[in-house]
Amino acid sequence: MTTPALELDVRPVGGATAVIDIRGDVTATSEQPLSAAYDEATNTHGAQSLILNFTGLDYMNSSGIGMLVTLLVRANRQRQKLAAFGLTDHYRQIFELTRLDEAITIYDDESSALSSASATS
Amino acid sequence: MTMTSRERVLTSFAVPSEPGNERLALTRVAEAVAAADLTADQLERLKTAVAEATMNAIEHGNHNRPELDVDVTVVDTGAAIAVSIVDNGGAHEPENDGHIALPDLDLKLAGLQSPRGWGLFLIRNMVDAMDVSTDGDKHTVRLLMVTGDPATQTPDGQTPDGQAPTPEGGPDDQQV
Repeated sequence: MTTPALELDVRPVGGATAVIDIRGDVTATSEQPLSAAYDEATNTHGAQSLILNFTGLDYMNSSGIGMLVTLLVRANRQRQKLAAFGLTDHYRQIFELTRLDEAITIYDDESSALSSASATS
Repeated sequence: MTMTSRERVLTSFAVPSEPGNERLALTRVAEAVAAADLTADQLERLKTAVAEATMNAIEHGNHNRPELDVDVTVVDTGAAIAVSIVDNGGAHEPENDGHIALPDLDLKLAGLQSPRGWGLFLIRNMVDAMDVSTDGDKHTVRLLMVTGDPATQTPDGQTPDGQAPTPEGGPDDQQV
């Protein structure tokens, strides 16, 4: 049995907020599953704040960053907020280089991200 | 490639030009440099640069043709780790369909740039130096990561004995 390159779970956490748990690789092949997770969070759970949990991230390449930009474009169109936690120092550095950290608020952990989301919702 | 007495090949291997094989390359390079004098941060940055350069070689050099290999060689120069990534695409721009545009998140969010196109930008920002050369069909990207205590090196990467870690220069040199 092969392990899927990317597994995503969408968790509604109340207050029109959903956490998307990311496990595995975020690459060019992630477009469909990321889009499906976004649709579930938005259409099924009515999320206005989306929090990406990168704790289980194994690998993300430039194509994966492109996928995040696409996600960000969709979120901006819907006036949704995008946040993230669980990034390693290396991927935090990449978020800073690409300036993704200016558009996706980065938190150290889930509780910090949820506290901020509940305070602004 | 001219070798000096201080240089030592740590590994040399090939990967077929299939999407996803950049992970194989980064794993092999990481294993080869495990004993090198790189910090954990340098190692992560080198792995990302190797993965992105290999992706470019697979996609833009060899056009995802699995019968063509991407050749990877890792050398310890004594002052730096040098990783050469070679494809068969001849002179080609690694991405952006021939136009090297600096990726700009604002333009991407406004729909004025493709969401993609981060690869070369990442490579340039991950390593201490990068140069590109072409010899017939062979297109080579060479990545350099300075080893040793950065405090003992000058900002241009030279060690106290004046030994520059960079390889022989060329018109395509792209220092970062």
